[in-house]
Order: sequence, then structure tokens, then C-alpha cells
Amino acid sequence: MSLERKDDHDHKAWMKERDLTPVESIYLSVLVWFDKRLRIVDYLELLEDLYYKVNMQMPKSHTEQYNLDNKFWYWYPLYALGSFSTIAYIVAAISGALLGFYYAPAAAAADGTPSVAYQQISLIMTDLNMGFFLRSLHRWSAQVMVAAVFLHMLRVYFTGAYKEPRELNWIIGIVLISLTMVFGYTGYLLPWDQLAFWAGQIGVEMSLSIPLIGEWVAQLLFGGFTLTQATLQRMYLLHVFLLPFVVTTLIAVHIGIVWMQGIAEPH
Amino acid sequence: MTEDTDTTDAEEPTEDVAADGGPAGEASGTPSELRSDGGEETATDGAGPGIVPPDDETPAWSERKQRSQGLSRLTYEYFERARREDQDLRQESSYVERDVLGFPAWPHEMIRNLAITSFFVGMIILLSATLPPHIGPPANSGSTPAIILPDWYLYWSFGLLKLAPLNPELSLLGGQKLMADRTFGVLANLVVVGAVAIVPFLNKGAARRPVEQPFWAGVGFGGVVFAFTISAYSVNNLIPMEPTLQFDLAFLLPVLAACIAYSVLKSMREGYMFDLNRRYYRLRPPK
Repeated sequence: MSLERKDDHDHKAWMKERDLTPVESIYLSVLVWFDKRLRIVDYLELLEDLYYKVNMQMPKSHTEQYNLDNKFWYWYPLYALGSFSTIAYIVAAISGALLGFYYAPAAAAADGTPSVAYQQISLIMTDLNMGFFLRSLHRWSAQVMVAAVFLHMLRVYFTGAYKEPRELNWIIGIVLISLTMVFGYTGYLLPWDQLAFWAGQIGVEMSLSIPLIGEWVAQLLFGGFTLTQATLQRMYLLHVFLLPFVVTTLIAVHIGIVWMQGIAEPH
Repeated sequence: MTEDTDTTDAEEPTEDVAADGGPAGEASGTPSELRSDGGEETATDGAGPGIVPPDDETPAWSERKQRSQGLSRLTYEYFERARREDQDLRQESSYVERDVLGFPAWPHEMIRNLAITSFFVGMIILLSATLPPHIGPPANSGSTPAIILPDWYLYWSFGLLKLAPLNPELSLLGGQKLMADRTFGVLANLVVVGAVAIVPFLNKGAARRPVEQPFWAGVGFGGVVFAFTISAYSVNNLIPMEPTLQFDLAFLLPVLAACIAYSVLKSMREGYMFDLNRRYYRLRPPK
């Protein structure tokens, strides 16, 4: 006769009275160990819910319900542009992370001798296995993303999808398209070749021409009025640190709002 | 609704006075019963009962929400109204909710999505394998290249920076310009982006197709053409054409395109409405 409790909560006794295989008993004791600490039971309901949601039937869309497919089938590829730009963004993020292993934002001199950044790009393109392809992939996915974003905006405009309940998403979209172009611009400057340098020069002049705060903006974004190491470093940080966080969050919000409000389908 | 707000407004001053005694006054509408920390001695040494089990006097969570003040009260009232509005709309509507069967999310939709995604990623890979990028000579601040260009998607913005001929010379300032040409160019960028941003606040209504709204479709088409012409103007040193002529074309072509798109869509709308009306009157012939 033991002093141990033998009520419903004595899981060990319950396991003993069942005739369990070793696999089952190991599984159960691990489960009990975790459940005592984390109370997994509470989350099982969520999992179950998810399981049934995955097997749910998608509701018929507006066009399917009213049999409008024969009228609008040629519009449908245009409705994939948003997801195309998202996919291109993901591809660019992955290839960019891989490029980041080899790139160094160091522009020692702008006097025609190749800087470290330029040399690293050359190294990626000539010495690294698949490096040329990697850079190509990053560049093309960025180009495709920008193109898809532009076309996506045109589609939204011409099908009136920005109307009444969706104004907020239209404005988020404008912020996103602008940030996409900033993404492209900062990335354009990173190789630190002639085109990059002089495009950066235009950027400095643009920010200097803003009334009142122009010099401050130039200092903040470009680290000075001429292009130096500071410029390249700021562009690099914008490109790989600040913008990814902001843009990824905004994309999530953008898609989340589409999810909540539903796709504006043609009538 | 209005009565409710009136009563809350009337109660507010007394509440504010009571709330000075302790933070608990904020949460409840019956301050005399519930503000225990004001009347009794508060144990701060950790010995006293920090959490009191709810009895009948303690308001339930929902009651607490109903009785609360200020913004949370307003939020609560609005949500109640919104819920009622939804319910009324549902009851009024003649729309019957049926079970509509589509494809299951798994596997049908997911396989379709994966197929589209991998096709698209494959296209990017094909592009990048066949058309690898070029890298120019290293940066040299000493030699300005003949061609300075941003990437193609910034040409429009680059073109807007070259709008100097449009910058007005004000006679009030003695023929001086109000702002520098390059400030004017940066401002033009902001104006374009702002104009695109306010579109949903100008164009309301249920119309969706371009045919249904020829004006806005025309404006959009003009805008697209302007994006192309101003991009072309941004690289005018590469195009063998008189720059002034190109500048004029950059503004005339979009207007022309907008007018053409407008008239085409307008005439299409006649036919579209004719079809719609014919179908309508066939279904319900006029008596």
C-alpha cells in the first residue's frame, strides 16, 4: 500500500494498467512530460481546427458563382501579378542573403581604382562557383518584382479594385511601390561602379534640392554631400537591414488586408 | 445610443472626482462598492490578498466592459451598433446563403499554387541564366560618363527632374523663379505620387470595368502614356530628336491618348448599355 495518489490524474498508474508497447510508452511519457510543463492540451484544439480548415472546401468565388468565367478569363493572369511580385521578392531575399556572404560594403576610393565592394562583386562573378548566376538571379528577380508591382498597380487601377473599402490598401500599395524603388535604387549603388556612383550623385543632388531640410536629408541618407565610404555603408544598411524589415511587414499587412476584405473580383 | 452617451457624459464629472482616490475608480461604474483600496488599508508588504475571487457583487468581465468610460465605452458602443447593423443587413437581404462547393484547399488549390509558383520561379531562373547582368568600370569621381542613368523603373522620376521649362517665372518676383529648377523637379515627383494616392477618394461608386467609367480609364491610360513619354524624355540625349519637340510631345501625347481612350470607351459603353438594356427588357418587357 503506497501513499501515492491513485486518482484520475495519476498518469503513471494509468500507463501501467494499459498494456503499452515500448514505442507507445516512450511517446506517452514524453508527451506527459511536456504537457505537465507546457499544457499542450490547450493547443490541441487549435491544431484540430487547423486540420479541418486545411481540408475545408474553398468557397466559390464571385465569378464562379455567377458564371462570369466566360467573360473574364483573359483578366485572370492579371490577378496573379501581386503574388508574382511577392514570389520574386522571396527569390530576391534568398539570393540576396547568399550574395551577402561574399559582399563587403567598402569603398576605399572613388578615383578609378576598384574598391573592395567592386572587387567583391568581381570575385562573385568570376571566382565563385555559381556566383555569376547568383548575382544574375538577384538582379533579375528584383527587376521582375518591380515590373510585376507596376503592372499590379495598373491592374488595380483599371479594374477599380482600389474603391471604397480598399482605399487604405491602395495607399499602403503606393508606399510599397515607392519602397520597392528605393530598394532597387540602394541595390543599384552597391556594386560601386561608374553607373552606381553617378546615380548616387543624382540622389545626393535630389536630396540637396529639397528646401530647408535638404542638407540634413543628404547627410542622413548619403552620409555627406559627396559620395564616400559612408554613402555606400548607408546604402548597404538600408538595403539589407532597414528596408527588408519595413517592406516585409508592409507586404504582410497588405496581403492580410486583402485576405480580410476579399479580392475585388470583376463584376 | 444618444441617451446612453448622455448618461455617461452626466456621470463623468463624479467619476473623475472619485478616480482621484485610486486607480480602481477608473474601471468600475459603482465606485462606492468597489473601490476597496480607497477605504481599507492596502497591504503593500505582499501579505494581503492581492487577487480577490469574484463574488456576486463583482462585475463580470462583460459588465465591466459595458460600464467603462471614455474611449473604451465608445468603442464598445460602436461595436454593438456595428454588430446590430450586420444583423439587420443580413435579415433584410434577400440573399440566401447556400453551401457553394469549390475545390478543396488541399490538395487541389495547393498543388495549383505550387505549380504556378514553381513555373514563375523557373521563369526568373531562365531569365537570369540567359541574360546575365553587366558590370561597368569601377567608380571614378574624376571622369563623368556620357550616359548617367538610373535603373529603368526610375526613368519617369528622372524625367520629372528635367521639368525646368515648366517652372514658372513669376512677374510678381520680377521674373524670378519661385524655386530652383531642381526643387521644382523633386516637387513634381511628390505631386505625381500624391495624385495617384488620392484617386480612391475622388473616384467612388460601384463601377469596376474601364467600360463603366470611361473618364477614369482615360485618365489612367493618359497617365501610363505620360510615364512612357516622360521616361523617353529623361533619356533625350540618347534619342535623335529635337529636345523641345520631345518635351512638347511628352505632354501632348498623354492628353491625346487620354482623349482617344475616353472616346473609344464612351462609344463602347453605348453598346454595352444597349446590350444590358436589351437583356433587361427581354426579361421584363415594358407593359
